[in-house]
Amino acid sequence: METYLNTGIKQIIDQFPEVGGILDAHGIGCAPCSVGTCLLKDIIEIHHLGEDEEKVIMAKIAAVLFPDKPIQVPAMKRKISTEPEKISYSPAIKKLMDEHVLIKRYLNLIPAILKNLDIESKEGRQLILDGVDFIRSYADKYHHAKEEDILFKYFDADHGIIKAMLEEHKQARNHVKAVLDALEHRDLDTIARRLTAYRDLLSAHIRKEDEILYPWMDKNLSIKQVGELFSRFHEADREIGYSPEKYQALVERFEEKLNPKEV
Amino acid sequence: MNMIEGCPGSRMLNFKDKDQKSDDGPEGKIESRLRQWPIQMHLISPVAPYFKGADVLLTADCVAYALGDFHRDYLDGKSMAVACPKLDVNQEIYLQKIKAWFDDARINSLTVLIMQVPCCSGLLNLVKQAAQEASRKVPIKYVVAGVQGDILEEGWVTD
Repeated sequence: METYLNTGIKQIIDQFPEVGGILDAHGIGCAPCSVGTCLLKDIIEIHHLGEDEEKVIMAKIAAVLFPDKPIQVPAMKRKISTEPEKISYSPAIKKLMDEHVLIKRYLNLIPAILKNLDIESKEGRQLILDGVDFIRSYADKYHHAKEEDILFKYFDADHGIIKAMLEEHKQARNHVKAVLDALEHRDLDTIARRLTAYRDLLSAHIRKEDEILYPWMDKNLSIKQVGELFSRFHEADREIGYSPEKYQALVERFEEKLNPKEV
Repeated sequence: MNMIEGCPGSRMLNFKDKDQKSDDGPEGKIESRLRQWPIQMHLISPVAPYFKGADVLLTADCVAYALGDFHRDYLDGKSMAVACPKLDVNQEIYLQKIKAWFDDARINSLTVLIMQVPCCSGLLNLVKQAAQEASRKVPIKYVVAGVQGDILEEGWVTD
């Protein structure tokens, strides 16, 4: 059992698909995760489940992994209490969550942007270029950079969930690069496919951060670290050289023009 | 317990079960985490060296008596000040000092420790007012302690 506890969850689910179903039934969405490097032993703490629920889940998983013999699953050592409770975010983490709101508003626009997109026209191409500017300047440089260069450095770089988030950032950047390449070649199908893939990836990524990663990180940060993060985030914003209000205005302009329905 | 009569902050309570020896864990002297003097809000200078860039604890008078692990769990690593929002006089100066913490001492964080009794919330309200008037923003955490040493609520002050 010790070996499985220290194995990446995606590897376990690949070998024992039933484990994905068990986790899903308890609201843990590891099965669809594209990275899945979180270790089995960390899943429970990251998802801040109570000790009773942990025992139930681990017993079910042990029965799948060892169907022929009963296995005693050791209680997971927890650094922090993970009893379900009302979540109150520190100002540092809340700042990142507030930035997600604008990113989600842009993601929600993507189907409308792609609908009837004419990339032969200057207007159509500018629509894509403005979107890429938003993604690269706001979603990536303004937001993801704070995560990668500041927040994630407060945690073990080898932790599965940190590696998973970094991998998804990389996948997102690859999609955007592919969109720009496709735009140069007037390849509408690739633009649509990659921008849609970007939307799906980022939507799931943001949900994971808001519901799982950020609450877990917040519980593990001392008040001193929260103060440092808050200060460093604001310093990073000052040093970035442009105003995020520009991207707020861009999204509002898109929304006014495209009037998408909320998905 | 008796029905509440008059001010909850002054209501008489008798914790008879505390006469029994409680499970305190390993025996041993607990080192003081206090690293400055003075501590009373009227006496402190908000720009004293120990406040510059510090994590600061602003606690109501009674909290340290209610919380058995005050030094270890709350004071450790912080500079502090103590005040009573009900009985202290001339509290206008407190507002100026808290603002000076934010803007001049450029503190890293502020934790406000209060009791569950209604009169204590005045200390948190004072901090919120100072935060709104200050030009520099700082994370502010609040903790509400019960009269029997339990933590009833904690959270972050939002805009």
